[in-house]
Order: sequence, then structure tokens, then C-alpha cells
Amino acid sequence: MTEDILRINDLSTRFFTKEGQVNAVERVDLNIKRGEVFGIVGESGSGKSVTALSLVDLVESPGEVTNGSVEYRNEELAEALRDEYPDAVDGSFVDLRAVPETVRRSLRGASFSMIFQDPESSFNPTLTVGEQIAEAAEVQRRARANPRSTRAKTRGVEYSFSSYLASAVLPSRKFVTNSSRERAVELLEMVGIPDPVKRADEYPHQYSGGMLQRAMIAQALAGEPDVLIADEPTTALDVTIQAQVLDILADLQEETGMTIILITHNLGVVARMCDRVGVMYAGEIVEQGRLEDVFENHVHPYTEGLLGSIPNLDDVGGRLQPIGGNVPSLIDVEMGDGCYFADRCPRAMQECLEKPPDFDGPGGEEHVAKCYLADHPYDETQALSEEYFESAGARVTDRGDSAGASPGEVSEDD
Amino acid sequence: MSIAKFLLRRFLQGIFVIWGVITIMFGLRAVSPGDPASLMAGEGATAEIIEQVRVQEGLDQPLYLQYIEYLQGMMVGDFGFSWQARREVSAIVIGRIPATVELAVAATVVAIAIAIPLGVISGTRRNQPADYSATMFSLLGISTPNFWLGLMLILVFAVWFGIPYPSVGTSSLPLSGVSVPYPSSVGLGMVDLPTGRRDVSFGVAVSALVFEQSLSEMGTWLRHITLPAITLGTYFTALITRLTRSGMIDELGKPYVTSVEAKGLPSVLIRYKHVLRNTLIPIITVLGLQIGTLMGGAVITETVFNWPGLGLRLIDALHDRDWPVMQGIVIFIAIAFIIINIIVDALYASLDPQVSDE
Amino acid sequence: MISDRVKSNLKDTFVDSLLPKVGLVLLIAILVMALFAPLLATHDPTRTGHFHETGAPYPPMGYSYETQVAQDGEFGEVSVESNSTHVLGTNNIGQDVYSRFLYGARVSVIVGLSSTLLAMLIGVPIGLVAGYYGGRVDDGLMRVADTMLAFPALVLALALIGVFGESPVHVPDPIVMAGFADGMPETIPIPGTVTIVGALVIWVWFARVARGEALSLRNEEYVKAAQSFGTGNAQILRQHILPNSLTPIIVLATIQVAVIILLEASLAYLGFSGTTLSWGYEIERGQDVLRTRPWVSIVPGIGIMLAVISVNLLGDWLRDALDPNIDQSKRGA
Ligand code: SF4
Repeated sequence: MTEDILRINDLSTRFFTKEGQVNAVERVDLNIKRGEVFGIVGESGSGKSVTALSLVDLVESPGEVTNGSVEYRNEELAEALRDEYPDAVDGSFVDLRAVPETVRRSLRGASFSMIFQDPESSFNPTLTVGEQIAEAAEVQRRARANPRSTRAKTRGVEYSFSSYLASAVLPSRKFVTNSSRERAVELLEMVGIPDPVKRADEYPHQYSGGMLQRAMIAQALAGEPDVLIADEPTTALDVTIQAQVLDILADLQEETGMTIILITHNLGVVARMCDRVGVMYAGEIVEQGRLEDVFENHVHPYTEGLLGSIPNLDDVGGRLQPIGGNVPSLIDVEMGDGCYFADRCPRAMQECLEKPPDFDGPGGEEHVAKCYLADHPYDETQALSEEYFESAGARVTDRGDSAGASPGEVSEDD
Repeated sequence: MSIAKFLLRRFLQGIFVIWGVITIMFGLRAVSPGDPASLMAGEGATAEIIEQVRVQEGLDQPLYLQYIEYLQGMMVGDFGFSWQARREVSAIVIGRIPATVELAVAATVVAIAIAIPLGVISGTRRNQPADYSATMFSLLGISTPNFWLGLMLILVFAVWFGIPYPSVGTSSLPLSGVSVPYPSSVGLGMVDLPTGRRDVSFGVAVSALVFEQSLSEMGTWLRHITLPAITLGTYFTALITRLTRSGMIDELGKPYVTSVEAKGLPSVLIRYKHVLRNTLIPIITVLGLQIGTLMGGAVITETVFNWPGLGLRLIDALHDRDWPVMQGIVIFIAIAFIIINIIVDALYASLDPQVSDE
Repeated sequence: MISDRVKSNLKDTFVDSLLPKVGLVLLIAILVMALFAPLLATHDPTRTGHFHETGAPYPPMGYSYETQVAQDGEFGEVSVESNSTHVLGTNNIGQDVYSRFLYGARVSVIVGLSSTLLAMLIGVPIGLVAGYYGGRVDDGLMRVADTMLAFPALVLALALIGVFGESPVHVPDPIVMAGFADGMPETIPIPGTVTIVGALVIWVWFARVARGEALSLRNEEYVKAAQSFGTGNAQILRQHILPNSLTPIIVLATIQVAVIILLEASLAYLGFSGTTLSWGYEIERGQDVLRTRPWVSIVPGIGIMLAVISVNLLGDWLRDALDPNIDQSKRGA
């Protein structure tokens, strides 16, 4: 296949809460290829949304990306940063975690952009939709205005407090220019919003949920990003609208060739959109590979549990299967040393009390699973005793409540 | 509902409330324990004058006729006649407006100029030294009685630091051309303490600046207004700081902020164009209501500094038991408050797009 | 009613932060001062004439000041030393500042609590009825409330006092009556008009909050159920609506105590409270001698400030912990 655009190594994100340290993302390794749609699938509280936010450095306090690297392939950026941050640059890859925050900021919108779950709360209610999309377009326009300047590449758009004050009296100093406003209308049209000129001047509360999600896609596309991270883009919408929004995303991806990281708990969406999938559980990617491999040749019992009711890829629209027990709380001190899934796993063995490494799966070469079953078949004689499950079961149900409350996690109660 | 309709409704409500205010004041006169005629005539009036007042003011007529006449008078801006001061109440009120407006505006400007940056700093740097100081300041600010604060400012700046202040005496209102003597009602004159005697109004200071290129009048004006403005403005500064801080914290936690950050907008714009703006919209309505506190505070501040505004005149009228002047000032203040609130609502409606649709 | 969740919330927010603790300590201190003023006071606060031999008031402990005294027909500077029985000195008419400070707390607390209670008694029933019945009753109330709110609180209070005059109520002091504190005044003058006027000024806030609560509670299932059983409206209001709307009313009441304390002080400062035993009045008294004897004004001002701070801190704590829909806009205009 094609080259990697993102190489994520050992990425960990922790939340330092009153209840203790929450390991929302635990040593995640992922390679994302240019132009593919990569799905991250998991239950609520599995850390998938935090993973998305970690990629663009938007994890909010008390959360913090504590470890790992996010390497992003961008020749120009690598060129611009090579002298200043030699350690961060490796060939045409730049380790985003090793460069200052200003650089990461400057990539938002232009290299990475995001679509959020709930369009209604993701737009500022007091500005028109057109203005907000135009802002995104303007960021891009200003960044491009001076392509040779390293500053523009690595420092983001300059707009000081004094320019803001001046803009109150001088319309010419306003951040958003007319050409960006026009661009916003084009973008709205592109995502299929009828009468875009008029709708651009409307406020978010005047839009329906589906329309607003399209507008958000338009906003995310304004920067012509390399990578679009869509966090549960259809969860808040009803079924027919979901399909339309997915179609738009698919079409746009085809047209622009951008990479999409699609985060969802809906396997139907994954089956329909993705080239490759990573399955997330308790902050870890427990199995990843090409769509067919994960759906048909999966080895991890958790993946199997998720897919339980979906016999094959054609049966879309399926939801995650409820699996006995609850997602663990992810609180550091309560996490065991072994496989995190062991207390819910029907095939847990003695050795599972030891953390399983990544094993190659039976599928294509990129098929990887964090499970001993990928290495050797189930050995009944090694099965964990009933007592283990009872004590673990009790523990898990206890923690069940706090799982949903783990900070930074978008709730997915539908 | 369109904004125009919303405002029309607000306006009609305002008229209704003004009518209510006038009725309450009329009712108070009617239920007052003494004889209304002697109430109107004021303290120390002779029996002769009281009778004269009774006839002239129509107090010998049935209550409903009195009420109709009262309303009619109010409608044409006739607030009655002060038998003590022997002048139209409306003239007295008008003469006192500029001083109070100057003071109130100066206090508001001071408050907004200090409070919003302070609130922003405090809200965006939570639990840092700057935040703690701002929180302490605002706690003290909303808890300190302003008359005491005024005295303490005088004590610290004028008495201890010896910053010169004009000595007390009688003063006049240069703009209105009417000379109003003030008894030194608070007695500061005895010890030659500074008071905000108003030698120069803002208008005079500006015209001196424009036409004579003279800064000295402006300096005098500033020197007079600084301490009273701080005294009156402190509560507001503290209140707005508090509101801005908690508003910023709420607003920064909203999902749209993450979304705005994700599109790479410069942080200045995130902070001010998005977050602060949305924080201020609800604060505006609170401030509208708090203008009442400002007006009450002005009464006190004017008394402390002998500042020749409506509030000081109200207190003088109360001491003199000059009912017509008192009721005229009270009604005027209430009407001003109502009008300011309508303006505030209009501002709110124009800033929050959701108002007009709800 | 106060649920367990609310209780644990109250506890958590109290344990976690410093400010509520400061507030509570201050409040207790002020309540103790108010309650036991006759026992703690060193002098009868109303007795005048505690002067230095020069005829000048005593400064607080550890201070001294110069005063002009006529001696043998000539003026001379004499130093006035403090007197150990007058810890905070005496005021211009020779009253003990410390004792007046304690009694000032008493008056403030009594007025603050009784006025707020009175306002609650007026406002809450009216608000509950208006919100519960809705329709015309409600419209009527809201218009009255709008009208009341059109008057700045202090201005309305002044207008009411202008009409009704100011009359103190002399309340017998139980501690003195029981013979525990000889030489203290047997009655304390409470500014009666101010208490009533304060209630008349702030009741609207209680009515508004109670109305809002009743308005949302009347659509609750249990209220609907009670109605379908034929329970009388009065009983529903008493048994269901009132208990469930108490939380925001309590928070509001806390904040309003601070409003009343400031109002009383302001009126006393302006000379309209009808009593002279008040922090506000004392500040006014010290104003004449601010330059030479600043303590006369400084001491009672600190009293007001501490009282208001303590109430505000507790109000903040309750608001944060109970989180009812009360905001700064309801602080009283
Ligand atoms: S490693 Fe063991 S416990 Fe974990 S999923 Fe695989 S079989 Fe189950």
C-alpha cells in the first residue's frame, strides 16, 4: 500500500484526578497510511476519543499526554524544522511531541482537523455558522499567504491582542476577510447545504442536527487538512441522516484523497467506511489490521465479543455487542498487571495474568493482536479458576460506575 | 419573535412599571401616618402654609381625583413644587443630574476597565497567585461598605499621604448656572478634610481643554472625581471580576472551545472573540440589574464626598422632610433605572442571537 | 428536602477549600460577639464621658496622640495616652469603642436575621402560590415584582423611611435581665423601621425564586399524582412544593443577610436608622474626627466588613455545594 502519514509509537495519556491516575490511553502504537480511512472502534470509556485528542494535543487538564511520539510525514515541515529541532526530525517525519506547542498549534486546521460528536455544542452559539467556517478558512489562507516563510509554517497565524483591539474600530483589521467568507459559502455548498449564501448568515440554533454536522465537516475541510479526525461523527444524528453524512465524508475523501481517522463505537460505520481498523479496550489497541482481517480473522476474544452478532461485512448497521462485565475504570492502581481483558475473557489462561505482547495475527501482515491466542490455541488445562472470575467480577462491577465518568471521554449513551 | 417585537414588549412593560412606580409613591403619600399637607409642606411649616398647600395641591379633594391629577402632572414632567426650597422639583432634579451622571459613568468606566481584564486573567489562570489575589480582592470588594471605603480612602490618601485636596465649603454647579449652597452636612469642614467639592464639571473641563487648550481644569476635575469614582466603583469592580471569572471558567469548559482550538484559530481570538464575548453576554443583564446598586451607592458616595448630585439632594430632602423633592428624586431614579434596563436588554438582544428566537 | 447527595456535597466542598472554613470561623466569632455582648463588653456601651484627663477620647491600646489643650489660658500640645480598660479607645463622646463594637454586632445580626426571615415569610408564600397557580395570579405578582425592582434598594428604603419615620424598638436583654451582666443596658434599641423596610425591599427576591421553583415543581410526577388523589392545593404546596424549593431559598437567604447588614449600616450611617448603637452610625460619628481619631471609624467598619465577608463566604459555599439556579443577578439590586 502507500506510505505512512502518521506513525504513533507508545502513546500514553493520563488523567490526574482526585480518584487517582487514570490511564486513558496506554502505550498505543498505530501507523496510519496516507489516503486511508482508519477506524478506531471501542466501547464507551475505552479511551478512543482521548486518543484522538492526544494526536492533536487537545487533551485538557487534568489530562496530559505523558509518553510516546506522534510522527507526522510532511516534507516541508521537516525541512523547516530540521535545523532548529534536529532531534524531532527524522527524514520527512516530524515528531510532533518533540516540537514546541506553537508548532503543534500551527498544524491544527491546516494539517489536522477534527469533527466532533455533537455538532450543536461544538459550534459557538453566538456567531454565525458562516463566520465560524470562514475563521477556519482564514487560518488556512493566512498560513498559505506566505509559503516560503518558515514562521508561518511553524508558528501559526499571527494575530495579536492589539490587532484584535484595532479590529473593533477598523473593519480592515478584522481577522476574517471577505474572501474567506466566500470560501465558507463554497464549503457549505460542497457539503450539500441548500441555499448556502443565506444559511451562512444563520446561527447554529437555526440549523438541524444533520445540517450542522455537515457544516462542521465544511469547517474541518476549510483548512484542506492532510488528516481528518472524525470523533463519532454520526452518533448524535438519526439513522437516515447518519447515512447521508457518511456518504459526504466518503465522497470528500475520494475527491481530496485526505486521510481519515474515524472514531466510532458503531461497527456498521466501520464496515462501511474503513480500510483498516484498530480495536480499543481499556486504553490499549488490542487488535488491529485490515478490515477483513479484523472482521473475519480476528483472534482477540474482545473483538470477537464486539462482532458477536455480525456474521459478515455485509450486515451493516450493527452495534457493539454487550459483553459481560464492564469496561474497567482505567484507574492506574486498579489495573492489574496482566491482560486487561482477562476478567471478562471467556478464554483467559494462566499466562494471561502476564501482560500479552503484540502477536502477529493470522490475517495479512499488518494484522496484530495483543493476545496469547494469536500465538497458540486455547489450552483448557491452563484456564483460570472460577475464583479468579468471581473476585475479578466483583471488582469490575464495583468500578463500573467510575468507568463512564472517566474524564475526557465523550459519553456515548445511545 | 423578532428583536423589534421583543423590544416593543420590553418598552410597554417599562411604561407599565413606571406607572407602578408613580402609583406606589402616590400610595406612600396617601398612607403616610401624618397629614399629607404637612408632609408636603415640609418640616417647620406654619399652619397657614399647610392650609395653603392643602388647597393648592388639591389635597382636600377625593383621593381618586388627587391620583388623576398626580398622574397627569407626572406625564408632562411636573414633579410638583417644593414648598421648602420654593422651587419646582423638576428644576432641582435637573440641576443635580450632571454631577450624578458623571460620578456613575466614571465609576462604571473604572469598574469595567479593571474588572474585565482581572476576571479574564483570573479565569484563565485558575489557582495561580494572580487568581487568588483577584478572588480575594473581589471578596473584599463586595463586602466592604462603600461609605467606609470612601472614608478610608480619604484617610489614607489625603490625611496620611497628604495628597492635597480642595478644602470644603459651599459649591455651585457651573453648568446649570444655578447656585446651590450645601451645608457641610457631614462636618468634614471642621478638620479641613478633603471632600469632593465640585469646582469643575466634566463639561467645563472639556470645553477648557478644547477652546483654551488648558489642561488645568481637566486636572481639577480628575482630582475631584478620582476618590468618589473609586469608592462607588469598587463594589462593581469586584462583582464584575467575580462574574467574569466564573463565566470564563464555565465557558472555557464548553465543547465548542475545543472545536475552535482544533481549527487552529489564534489564541487571542479564541479567548476574546469567542470565550470572553460569550461570557459577557449574560453578564450584561446582571449589570443592568446592578445599576440599581450603583444608584444606591451613589447616594452614599455623594454624601461621603459632599458631591452635589441627586443622592446628596435626596438625603438633604429627607433630613429636611421635604417630601416633594424626595419623591421627585426617587421617581426620577426609578425611571432612569427602568430605561437603562431596557437599553441593556436591547444590547443583550443584539448580542445573543438566541434571544430573538425564544 | 436535603438529600444525602447534597449533604455529602456540602461536606466535600467544605473540606476541600479554605474559604468556607474562614467564613464559618468568622461567622461563629460574630455570633458569639452578638450573643454574649453584655458578658464580653467591658463598659456600658451607651455610657459617655470616658475621657482622658485632658478631656480627649482615649486612643486604642498602645497608641497615643497629641491634642491641643488650653492650660492657664494658653494652648499647649498634650500627649493623650491609652487606657488599659479601653482596649480600642473611646469615641468623641467618650463611649468605649470595644463595647460598642460588640453591641454593634448584636444589632447587625438581629436586624440581618429578622429582616431576612420577615422577607422570607412574605416572599416565599406569595412566590409559591404565584408559581403554582400560574396564570393571572402569576402575571400580577410578576408585575408587582418588576415594579418593586425598579427602585434601587437603598432608595426605596429611604423613601419608606421618609414616610414612616424611624422608630427604634427597645428589646429587653435576657442576659442582663437574668442578672449575669450588671451595669449593662437593660434593653437594646433595635432599628425597627429598618428591619421592616429591609424586608419590604428584599422580599421580591424570595418571591421570584420561590415562584421559579414552584413553576418547575408543579409539573413533577409526584405533584401530579397528589393532585389526582384529590389532595388540596394548600396541602400540596405545604407538603411537596415548599420542602423541595427550600434549597435555593436558603442560599438566597444567606446572601440577603449580607445585603441587609449593609443596608442597615448604610441607613445608620446616613442617620436614618433611629438608633445610635450601630456600626454604621459609629462610622458616621468618627467621620468628624477622622484625621485625629481614625479608630472611631475604622473599628466598626472592620466589623461590618467581617460580618459581610463571613456571610458571603458561606453563601458561596452553599451555592457551590447545592448548585441551585441562583446566580449573582439575584444578589439584590
Ligand atoms: S490475552 Fe488471555 S485474557 Fe487476554 S484476551 Fe487473550 S486470551 Fe483473553
